[in-house]
Amino acid sequence: MPFSVSVTTSADTATIELSGELDAASAPAFHDTIEKAAAAGVGHVAIKAHHLTYMASAGLRSLVFARQKMGEDVRITVAGATAPVARTIRQAGFDRSVTLVDE
Amino acid sequence: MSDATALLVHPEGNPPPDLLSALAHEKVAFTVRTPDAALGAAGDEQPVPVAEVLLAPATMPPRTVRAVSRRMSETGPTPIVVVYTEQDFAALDQHIKLGHDYLVPPFLPPLVRARLRSCYERAKLSRTMEEVEAQAELLSYERELRIGREIQEGFLPEGLPMLDGWDLDVRFSPARNVAGDFYDVFELVNRRRLALVVADVCDKGVGAALFMALIRSLLRHTAEHSGLQSLMTANQLMPDQSDGGPGGAHMIPVVGATPLMNAVVGTNGYLTRNHSGQGYFATMFFSVLDPVTGNLVYINGGHNPPLLIPREGGPPHPLEPTGPAVGVIPDCAFSLGYAKVRRGDTLFVYTDGVPEARNAAGEFFGDDRLLELLREPVPSGRALLARVEGALWEHSGSAEQHDDITMMAVNRAVAAG
Repeated sequence: MPFSVSVTTSADTATIELSGELDAASAPAFHDTIEKAAAAGVGHVAIKAHHLTYMASAGLRSLVFARQKMGEDVRITVAGATAPVARTIRQAGFDRSVTLVDE
Repeated sequence: MSDATALLVHPEGNPPPDLLSALAHEKVAFTVRTPDAALGAAGDEQPVPVAEVLLAPATMPPRTVRAVSRRMSETGPTPIVVVYTEQDFAALDQHIKLGHDYLVPPFLPPLVRARLRSCYERAKLSRTMEEVEAQAELLSYERELRIGREIQEGFLPEGLPMLDGWDLDVRFSPARNVAGDFYDVFELVNRRRLALVVADVCDKGVGAALFMALIRSLLRHTAEHSGLQSLMTANQLMPDQSDGGPGGAHMIPVVGATPLMNAVVGTNGYLTRNHSGQGYFATMFFSVLDPVTGNLVYINGGHNPPLLIPREGGPPHPLEPTGPAVGVIPDCAFSLGYAKVRRGDTLFVYTDGVPEARNAAGEFFGDDRLLELLREPVPSGRALLARVEGALWEHSGSAEQHDDITMMAVNRAVAAG
């Protein structure tokens, strides 16, 4: 499934919806979206990952980048991660930097 | 000349009729635009036509002519500029100095044709030159990448140490010229211990390769020079888990645990202090083996669990993460893990390029298939890697390799060495 990313910003939340495979080829698009969300100065970045089937280490790097870009007081959540994506995030220990939520 | 195309710019949209009829006679496909329309400044958002020749009046300032030419080159080839004039021959001067070609009356079809033909020849030649230059540039990049690869190979161990009673083997296959994966094997504590490292720097390409060189050097240098003074407080050196199976027994204090802990904590500190803006990190399995007893102490920093394959076969024992990936979280705690490699057991360490190898249809090799391959007893490290490698080739076929693949097998002989 081809990768797609979209972002909507409302009040204090930037919602980023991801689908397909997040790998080295698609990570730059996710990167740009995070830059936009960071520039908007929101307090919560909600990543919807229900339709994200795969996340390579380049995708994890984007999450690290998001964490570093946003500042400690910004909450970053990843909602509806599929089993392989959740495992990739947990295994690297990044469930301490971003919050995995069921939704 | 029937395949020729031209954009004719004229301020009032009424260029010299003789010129128009000469172009039509020579079957030149041309479009007439005002300068504003050609620049996209007319407000109608009309796209600029794709054409090989830009015909502009000599009275048009060279700067405007260049702007139109630039706009055309955004969507098509860079046009050859030909200025024309009926009376104002002095205006040609400024254009000729810039290398523009020119047309002056009489606009007789054979004369116009001859001039345009020479323009095409020039355009073709300059395009060929551009292609040759691009090709040369590409070759130079490829050479640089090849050099990068050779330098990177210098960051891998030259050979593997030979140890009595042990069979070590590795496979290292970068997906591109340069890799983000690496492995390392070196002796510690007066050659009484063996450090075994497999790591995967996130992302790909030159950036990952540069961080590979940095991380490998930090780990090895710190481990080799750490001495016995710990960077950690005592409670961080205490094991926090006890596993059954072939892993197991607690062994504290452990010789080699200090250089191991110092290397990983020191590297994590260095990366988070100096490179946090770049977002690079590495997952790694760093272990220190006592070849005499088979005792293994390790840190798994967010890496896919290495598998300890029991001599009798059956489900392998995973060595789960004992801390996060290295280079992300400042001052985070890493625990030590313990395992024992009994006679006949085999430790298999790998990077995610193995389960994530794809076939032509894009399907992953997968963890299940890998685990299935490891359930059978293993005669030697070399044999195990040949087994996995064969299955990977069979799965991937002619599909392009997406990720670096690194595998290490450490097999302890059944009989005493």
